[in-house]
Amino acid sequence: MNCEQMHERLPDYLVDDLDESERTQAHLHLSACPRCRETADRFLEIWRKLEMLSAEEPGVALRARFDAMLEAYTQGLGEARTDALRQRFDRWIGGFWPRRPAYQVGLCSLFLLLGLAIGHIVKSRPSANGELAELRQEVHNMYQLVTLSLLQQQSASERIRGLSWSQRVSQPDPQVLSALLQVLDYDPNANVRLAAVDALQQFSDQSMVRQGLVQALTRQSSPLVQIALIDLLVQIQEKRSVDTFKRMIADENLNDAVKQRAERALKQLS
Amino acid sequence: MNSPADHAVMLEVRDGDVTKLGLLFERYQAALFNFFLRLTGNRQTSEDLVQDVFFRMLKYRHTYQDGSDFTTWMYQIARNVRFDCFRKRKREVMLNEEENERVSPGPGPGEKLEREQELVLLRGALARLPEEKREILVLSRFQNLKYDQIAKILCCDVGTVKVRVYRAVRELGEIFFRLSGERVS
Repeated sequence: MNCEQMHERLPDYLVDDLDESERTQAHLHLSACPRCRETADRFLEIWRKLEMLSAEEPGVALRARFDAMLEAYTQGLGEARTDALRQRFDRWIGGFWPRRPAYQVGLCSLFLLLGLAIGHIVKSRPSANGELAELRQEVHNMYQLVTLSLLQQQSASERIRGLSWSQRVSQPDPQVLSALLQVLDYDPNANVRLAAVDALQQFSDQSMVRQGLVQALTRQSSPLVQIALIDLLVQIQEKRSVDTFKRMIADENLNDAVKQRAERALKQLS
Repeated sequence: MNSPADHAVMLEVRDGDVTKLGLLFERYQAALFNFFLRLTGNRQTSEDLVQDVFFRMLKYRHTYQDGSDFTTWMYQIARNVRFDCFRKRKREVMLNEEENERVSPGPGPGEKLEREQELVLLRGALARLPEEKREILVLSRFQNLKYDQIAKILCCDVGTVKVRVYRAVRELGEIFFRLSGERVS
């Protein structure tokens, strides 16, 4: 081992990390070379003196601070997990949103224009509107058809169902109205006729119905239906029924209750 | 130091069982505290830095890999913490001479005085050593780290570590013996 090699080995010599042969060679060189021996001695001396700088113990507060930090971190971790999805969604949304106010205003305007354009296109699509109207008309026709069909049933309850279906028809054809008036005039079941009075009430703004109601009153034999008709005629203020009321009052065979109701109606209308 | 158990515990911490970090704190708080104390000479700063090291271990625990060496990883974090602190508080980095006048318990009165004087000189010499050389001395002399471990911590080869140790010891010796001469004269 020469001087250069000895100097290279000094760091290992300090920590005693030389193998057996290296150690022997180092000792041989040091015993033969006074300069290297002096350097090695100084190195060892200062290395050993460093031992005087003994280790110190940290303050007890350090552990308490660590525990507090760990607890706060664990707590934060739990909250972070809860918010993770929301934050991910926010980040995703945020990714689309520009940072510069000018771009933000631009984007808002773009969305506004886009909304207006879509609205305009949808509104101005004649085919869509036409299809919708067509569909409505078809549904309307179907209601009328169902009404007419049910009114011709044998069963009284089916006919009453037909009358209730007629309520769904907002603007019935004359065909439907005459069917309803016909039920009121000629249906053998008083309950059905009574239901017809209720059904016709909805269309009492039509003159055909008003006239039909007045005429029906003369044909009715059931006091219940008569009273219902008198009430309806009074409600719709049908003056043409006055003569009919007078004739009814004069009729001696008429039910007393009906007669009284007719007298009162006469007073209300005159 | 650096037992396989540390590695296993750190893997558990990485995988979510963060309370296990308490075990590692118990094992390494004193070593880290003295590492910082010998570099800064300030107890309070050193305690703050230890705390910071463990906080960063939590924060960056996902960077700990299956093949990582815990001690190496820990000292790498410690060096970064120290470096950041150095940038923030440059003035504090200089070892405070008054701080170094700490009296350590020792043998009889005559010997004690001589020993105390040596201790003061040694601290003074260490304080005058450039930062990089002081650090390599602390790592190799006090932290029970082998040269190959230090090489990993400093991200250099073992030969470089040995050269740095050689230069650091030589310079420390020069300063110490110069100070001793000044004291005698």
